Amino acid sequence: MEEDEFFGEKTFQHFCAEFIKHSQQISDGWEWRTSKDCSEGYMCKTQFQMKPGTLVSHPGTSAHVQTCLPVEEALELPPDDFEVTETTAGSEVVKYEYHVLYSCSYQVPVLYFRASFLDGRPLALKDIWEGIHECYKSQLLQEPWDTITQQEHPVLGQPFFVLHPCKTNEFMTPVLENSRKINRSVNYITSWLSIVGPVVGLNLPLSYARTASQDE
Amino acid sequence: LSKMAEESESALQLPPSTAAEGEGPTEVSPETATPDPPSSAAVSPGTEEPAGDTKKKIDVLLKAVGDTPIMKTKKWAVERTRTIQGLIDFIKKFLKLVASEQLFIYVNQSFAPSPDQEVGTLYECFGSDGKLVLHYCKSQAWG
Repeated sequence: MEEDEFFGEKTFQHFCAEFIKHSQQISDGWEWRTSKDCSEGYMCKTQFQMKPGTLVSHPGTSAHVQTCLPVEEALELPPDDFEVTETTAGSEVVKYEYHVLYSCSYQVPVLYFRASFLDGRPLALKDIWEGIHECYKSQLLQEPWDTITQQEHPVLGQPFFVLHPCKTNEFMTPVLENSRKINRSVNYITSWLSIVGPVVGLNLPLSYARTASQDE
Repeated sequence: LSKMAEESESALQLPPSTAAEGEGPTEVSPETATPDPPSSAAVSPGTEEPAGDTKKKIDVLLKAVGDTPIMKTKKWAVERTRTIQGLIDFIKKFLKLVASEQLFIYVNQSFAPSPDQEVGTLYECFGSDGKLVLHYCKSQAWG
């Protein structure tokens, strides 16, 4: 179908809506936001992670924090309750924001992201690098500044890091064509995000996989 | 169960993850990324495990997508704790991909599990007929 070839803004919004439906079912935290003055919309999610500091041994104390806990709870946990003997000195909670927007020029979705400490200090790209999975580093390091750039968020007007979309069609096309051959429809957003998300610390729970592709 | 044993015999054993012990790769690979240290359960010193030890290994069927080269051996017995990243590294070496080429693995033909996801978990969610079907696709994904 020709419609499948053209990933327009309406298609983008449709797949985002489907994606968010599932996110709500599993409380994964994705939301849809619209800008006040126009019909542009985007998907976003905020999550909290520990930025690792230096690993030190500390008998009797702990800084054992899980990801995605509400911040206040995490900071107030008393040391006595834990037997963890290691702590990460200088570790801090980092707030990550992920935004999925539609790029008119590339006609594909684009992943914007930024990270900051709780006091509002933004993380530099160098710090974000440390959180990137090792397996991607060697790939991205070849051309890092072409792959992750800093841009103004089209709706919020604030600086975000962006994973460059120029190769998106290249890795999405085989997946879409393969599914078309066997009469299955693919949620473009779910599939795309499962690929690009882990590169910047965003891992989709496996349950999205069932919704990624369905019989037509 | 006996059917699975038959399939296991025809499936090749995936070589143990070379980075599991932190000893470094046994083959020379120009640009091998060092994976994060695996969880304690992932260590497979792995030499002769009986082919019929179906509890430990998952039968994985690898299918190529798009222009990706097709592996001559498609069926592999993989430890439950092998991660997606470990599998990606293996296929990349097997297909002799260059550093600039990325390889993706999909379940349900469309969803890329996170690199740390274990094959055993994927089998529990998406396995059928005693095996896990994974699609793989190469691409120049970045930059």
